[in-house]
Amino acid sequence: MDRNYSQDLLIAIERADRAGANAVIQAWAAGRDFRQVVPELLAPVLETFGKVWATGHGGVSLATGYVASKIAEDVLTRLLQEAKDSGSVLPVKGPVVLGNVEDDFHPLGRKMVAAFLRADGWDVRDLGVDVSAAEFVDTAEASGAKVIGASAMMYTTAKNVAKIRQEIDRRGLTGKLQLAVGGAVFKLRPELVADFGGDGTAASAVEASTLFETLRQRALTLDSPAGGLHP
Amino acid sequence: MNSFERILATLQNQPTDRPPFFLNASLYGARLTGASLDDHYTQAALYAEGQMAIRDVFSPDLLTSPFLVPAIGEAFGSSRRDHPRQAPNISGFAAQSAEAMLKLPLPDVDSHPRLVYLRETIRILAAKYAGEVPIIGVLVSPLDIPPLVIGLEAWLDALLFEPAVAQALLDRLTPFFVALAEAMFSDGATAVALTANLANKDIVTPDVAHTLTLPCLRTALAELPGLVIFHHGGCPLVDQLVRFKGLPNVAAYVLDAGENLGAARQALGPGPVVMGNLNGPGLSDLQPGDVQALCDRAFAQRGEDRQFILSTCGADIQIDTPPECLAAITEAVCRAGGVEA
Repeated sequence: MDRNYSQDLLIAIERADRAGANAVIQAWAAGRDFRQVVPELLAPVLETFGKVWATGHGGVSLATGYVASKIAEDVLTRLLQEAKDSGSVLPVKGPVVLGNVEDDFHPLGRKMVAAFLRADGWDVRDLGVDVSAAEFVDTAEASGAKVIGASAMMYTTAKNVAKIRQEIDRRGLTGKLQLAVGGAVFKLRPELVADFGGDGTAASAVEASTLFETLRQRALTLDSPAGGLHP
Repeated sequence: MNSFERILATLQNQPTDRPPFFLNASLYGARLTGASLDDHYTQAALYAEGQMAIRDVFSPDLLTSPFLVPAIGEAFGSSRRDHPRQAPNISGFAAQSAEAMLKLPLPDVDSHPRLVYLRETIRILAAKYAGEVPIIGVLVSPLDIPPLVIGLEAWLDALLFEPAVAQALLDRLTPFFVALAEAMFSDGATAVALTANLANKDIVTPDVAHTLTLPCLRTALAELPGLVIFHHGGCPLVDQLVRFKGLPNVAAYVLDAGENLGAARQALGPGPVVMGNLNGPGLSDLQPGDVQALCDRAFAQRGEDRQFILSTCGADIQIDTPPECLAAITEAVCRAGGVEA
């Protein structure tokens, strides 16, 4: 009987079993092109895992999500090494900018999002903690990123998302540069996403890539001549 | 009844003149004194003045030392960032890994300036309110100290991937935690309040909780010479009370915002006091009438349960919260008890 690698990988992730997950991936890759591991195995499994995580009823702890991000990092590390060894280049979806908002010093969630985004092919420009609104937008403009991801854990710091919104609007980038927000406070109070000027959020770090793709497409549409933002 | 008698009666499941209540108003005291937050969080006498002002204006039944756990991180060498409108936060960690933290000296609870600051606030408040208002010393359990010193990511790395190192660090931190708590009791604290987030199933895996953090928590709490208030620390608690009930010396459990008080009692059984369930940071967005409704809902949930303290939970009450919203809580408990505010 053929082994159900997806099921085995999901079980390992849900058990926060990093070594077990890597063993499943290793077994899957035997005789296969490792570059297909993300689209054929990891991404679908993470999508399923993300849905369980997002419901909040699957017993998924922060640590389990963290281990999932480490597994994604492990895969990316191997992909990068293989690309380096073979002289090939990994496909890149495009640049995105990440950071914790001004006065926020809680990096874990942001780092997990960065790991999942990188594993899914995004060129992540991670600015770290306590990032000013100007630095977010400067980096997006310089890199050509269409999406900023701003993380905040608490209500008091989440208010600083509004400064990024204002900076985007002040520079005439409304719609052309989308603002994704995340962090514990937005999960607890989803209405704050709109209140502070966010364009969207994801229910878990795993789902960030889908959100960023949606926002990037929206930005491209709004930035096109038919999108109505050009004079 | 004064507040001390009221809280004592609540612990003993005896009737009170009105329901007791608590405001997490560590930050809010600065609003009443007009002190800068830099001074509020470094000068013990100024902080204590803030708590006295809170007592004078709103009459809560418990007062606290600063809700300032980053000060414990500072004592290990982490750096802090002050803020004009909120409590300071850790901005740089003292070490990069659990292994590196094992090599850091343990802070002296009698001489480190940040720990002396915390303790001095207790001494001042206890002297002022002896026999009148219980004073709560605020700290964190040994499990929650590493995130203040090496960050949560490095601590999870140890708990998940280097359990022997994590165990060694927990063993090293437990005596420090016990020494700090003992010092707070000797300063006059009636109880200590703490978090244990790294034993919460929303944060760690069941394996980490069962093999590392919960055993450490039990050991540490058993060594304390006084009562403990177990704070939810930002995570929902009700569906985990079965795991946490019966922890040594724990006399009360603070629930998360909106959690069902009746369900908590059902999970705990008779004995421990249930505290909650008002969203402290969220009060700034409410009108006094909304706050009144939340208080009424809490009283309806507690029913005939006398071992209940109406409390704000979550983080500090924000400094821009209208005082009328806090006064609404005072009025609610007085109305519930049929006494004058």
